[in-house]
Amino acid sequence: MSDAVAQQAAEQEPVVDLSLAHKIIDKYIDMPGNLMPVLQAAQDEYGYIPRVVADLIAERLNVYPSQIYGVLTFYAQFHLKPRGRFIIRVCVGTACHVQGAPRIVETFFDKLGIGHAETTPDLRFTFEKVACLGACGMAPLAMVNDATYGSMTVQKVEEIITDYNQRPLK
Amino acid sequence: MVNLTIDDKQVTAPKNATIYEAAKANGIKIPILCHDKKLKPFGACRMCLVEVEQMKGRQIPACTTPATEGMIIRTSTPEIVKARKMVLELLLLNHPIDCPVCDKGGDCDLQNLTYEYKVDANRFVDEKFHLDIDYANPLIERDMNRCVLCGKCARICDEIVSFGAYTFINRGIETKMGCEFDEALNCEFCGSCVSVCPVGSLLARPFKFKARWWALTKQKSVCSYCGTGCNLTLGVKDNKVLTTVYDENQGFHNGQLCCRGRFGYQFINSDKRLTAPLVRKNGVLVETGWDEALEIVVGRLKGGIAVAALATPRMTNEELVLFKRLMETVGSPNYDHSAGYAHAALTKGFARSFGTSASPSTILDIQKSDLLLVIKTDAYETHPVVGFEINLAVKNRGVKLNLLSDKRGKLSKLPGAKTLVHTPGSEIAVINAIAKSILDAKLADGSAVAVPGYADLEQALAGFTPEAVAAQSGLSAAQIKELAADYAQAEKALIIFPIGLAYAGHDSEFASAVANLAILTGKLGREGCGVLCMAEKNNSQGAVDMGFYAPLGGMDAGRIIDGCASGAVKTLFIAGENPAVSYPDHARVQAALYKVECLIVSDLFLTETAAQADVVLPACSFAEKEGTFTSVDRRVQYFKPAIRKIGQSRSDFEIFAALIARLGGQAPASPAAAFAEITAATPAYTGMSYASLGEQGAFAAVTVKPALIAPQAPAPAGAPGKLALVVGSALYHNGTMSQHGEGPMYVCPEGYVELSRGDAARLGIADNDLLTVASATGSVKLKAKVSLRMPEGVLFTPYHFGATPVNQVWSGAAVTWVTLDK
Repeated sequence: MSDAVAQQAAEQEPVVDLSLAHKIIDKYIDMPGNLMPVLQAAQDEYGYIPRVVADLIAERLNVYPSQIYGVLTFYAQFHLKPRGRFIIRVCVGTACHVQGAPRIVETFFDKLGIGHAETTPDLRFTFEKVACLGACGMAPLAMVNDATYGSMTVQKVEEIITDYNQRPLK
Repeated sequence: MVNLTIDDKQVTAPKNATIYEAAKANGIKIPILCHDKKLKPFGACRMCLVEVEQMKGRQIPACTTPATEGMIIRTSTPEIVKARKMVLELLLLNHPIDCPVCDKGGDCDLQNLTYEYKVDANRFVDEKFHLDIDYANPLIERDMNRCVLCGKCARICDEIVSFGAYTFINRGIETKMGCEFDEALNCEFCGSCVSVCPVGSLLARPFKFKARWWALTKQKSVCSYCGTGCNLTLGVKDNKVLTTVYDENQGFHNGQLCCRGRFGYQFINSDKRLTAPLVRKNGVLVETGWDEALEIVVGRLKGGIAVAALATPRMTNEELVLFKRLMETVGSPNYDHSAGYAHAALTKGFARSFGTSASPSTILDIQKSDLLLVIKTDAYETHPVVGFEINLAVKNRGVKLNLLSDKRGKLSKLPGAKTLVHTPGSEIAVINAIAKSILDAKLADGSAVAVPGYADLEQALAGFTPEAVAAQSGLSAAQIKELAADYAQAEKALIIFPIGLAYAGHDSEFASAVANLAILTGKLGREGCGVLCMAEKNNSQGAVDMGFYAPLGGMDAGRIIDGCASGAVKTLFIAGENPAVSYPDHARVQAALYKVECLIVSDLFLTETAAQADVVLPACSFAEKEGTFTSVDRRVQYFKPAIRKIGQSRSDFEIFAALIARLGGQAPASPAAAFAEITAATPAYTGMSYASLGEQGAFAAVTVKPALIAPQAPAPAGAPGKLALVVGSALYHNGTMSQHGEGPMYVCPEGYVELSRGDAARLGIADNDLLTVASATGSVKLKAKVSLRMPEGVLFTPYHFGATPVNQVWSGAAVTWVTLDK
């Protein structure tokens, strides 16, 4: 995949199967205060909230599309762009910073070719700097989805990437 | 009432008042930025901080805190002034100080408060925002760099307009007001957000760089589009109406306007206005003086044989009375307005059902009711500010909303709204079935039996069982019965429906059917009850009150049109109407305009009708004259000129007075004198005068003598393979005049035909496809608009546009059967 093609693929919103969103809405349609659960379930389903899904939720729940966008941008838990299969989080809190987190972050940037809050064009990795993961004793700390990696080193960064590159995308 | 002390002054306030409201009611000013009397308290800006002794001197927001018994409040201690100053310093931290080029300058709450609190230095430093300004539409400019995040735009758009264009995007310092997915604004463009914006974030683009606020002369007036009777303030400079100015204290609607009221004033100073009389010489209209033009007209009118007149209900009461006097002077009983049928719900329907040609209820009843039955969701499109009142009633007061319509609409989306979508043309049958259900379920009021016509009605309704009507209306019997029960069992219920040129089905039979429901259930003569018939134009009710419709022995509009074609009418005087576009059946109207020997038109513009005239008289707009308009709910309102007359144009009052004088008759010397004659001759207007009307206006009296009438329902019709076309009003258009308003023409620039997703898929039609709509009468090419609200098999098209005259396919039937072709 050339860079230009990859760029284009990443920018284009993938085809979204709306029937999944319909099912989620069907489940919550009669529940008062159903917007948050519907958005959360939709994000679980699609990995992010595609525009067409937001529009469908607005239409079926009779909520203003603007209001949905307000909720989506208020909460850090929602994402408006496709996310990678593997979410890499590196702590840059005080303890991790002192223990060399900046170098870990730089190495991830370098090896993945993406920056903070970005996703690789093949939708394999999303990288995020986070303020604290609550395990300062293991600093510097990284997480990939639910797996935790303590006492991170530059060497370990390469191992992690190699490991997750071999895992299936689906 | 509660008693409290504000700034050492003993005051009383209503029980539900906030501290801010209590202070305001007692003449004590507390500064505000985010508060608006029309909106729910929000408490975002902290400008209204006050000290309450009982709360240990803590500073609390006056706009959200209820005033309670015995409170001791101080509104401007040194500490409070200091706190407010800091609020302003913090707001000014990010606010660009570009006041010299900001159109809000002089009318800006932030600027005025900064001045008032002498914030001449800022202890803090931060970067300004550099957000892109939204110039995507020609009406509303959004510069979020100036925003103070008061949230008023989002709140008014939700609470009153119920569109919800805006939201708070992001959090913390990055918060900004925006639309979904941070896109450009794309809404109804009513401009309510502009009216309440306390700074220059939201500006009216048509007014941009036109005049400084303080250089404008502000003249109060009454809107000349629909019959709601909204009050306006016109911003005038150099004899030009440059903008409308928001005044939250104006009218029942608290200054709230729709797109055409706010952004539709450009017709007043349009360069297309007629500035001199025109007469046809050698087949061409050429400019002439008033003398020549009036002489020709007098020559044609003299004798009065074969003379007829059509008037627009946009004219003032005084002008309509004078036009009628002119016809009486020439001895012709042939005069009418609105194609002769668009007022029949009032002049025939209500006349026999209520014993008066006016609505028994007012717009103020909407918020006082328990249940609204709105017939046709178009009520929002035809009378948007009434639509706002419905939104407020439903959302703030929990008023139940039932809709009976041939399509869904914006009102259907209101919380708890129940919409029954019936097949087009079956509304009278459905309403009769509701009446029948009320009788069968013994839900009728005890008083109904004594009303004249009860027995006849009971008998006539025998054929309208919900089961029988269900089949032809596309509803179920259960739905009809449920609606009947909802309506009858509500303590207070109000029925609202629009009438007008485009609503041919809302005729006298329809009006009587509706009236029956209110009479049968005793929902009349009480607050929040009754029927509100919303006529189309600003003075439709006035035209009826002045009796400007065919008297006994006179021709009505339909017969006048046919008379022109047959030669029975030789001189036709049309004042302000544009039948070539707005009357049904283009071919029939054209035949009339072509055949009639002499066509005289007075209008602001060289309309499609005026272009065919032999004499064209340049009339002037409402902004150039004085007089009274009567709103749909009988509110008689006086307005004064805001500017001098454009060119040589004259008010229709002056034109008719000059003609009467030349014909040897007597005309009142001034509109005031004419109004005095009106009040003497019209019982409902007794006691009114220009002075007594003041700024509030006054309601014309109404005395209801109910009678039950058995309404005839049209036989169910259908045409295999064809689609049912219903004609109506597009949002923010009104008649054909709104084509000269920038706002309405941006929101809806051209005619279209709206169809359901199902029909679009079946016929392979996409949005904006150019379609040929063909009926037995003719055909017209219109762009397709695919929408969610249309039921399958039903098409909707607005009627306002001269470029795509819908009357080429529509001959005045409630439902027209058509085919669609790409």
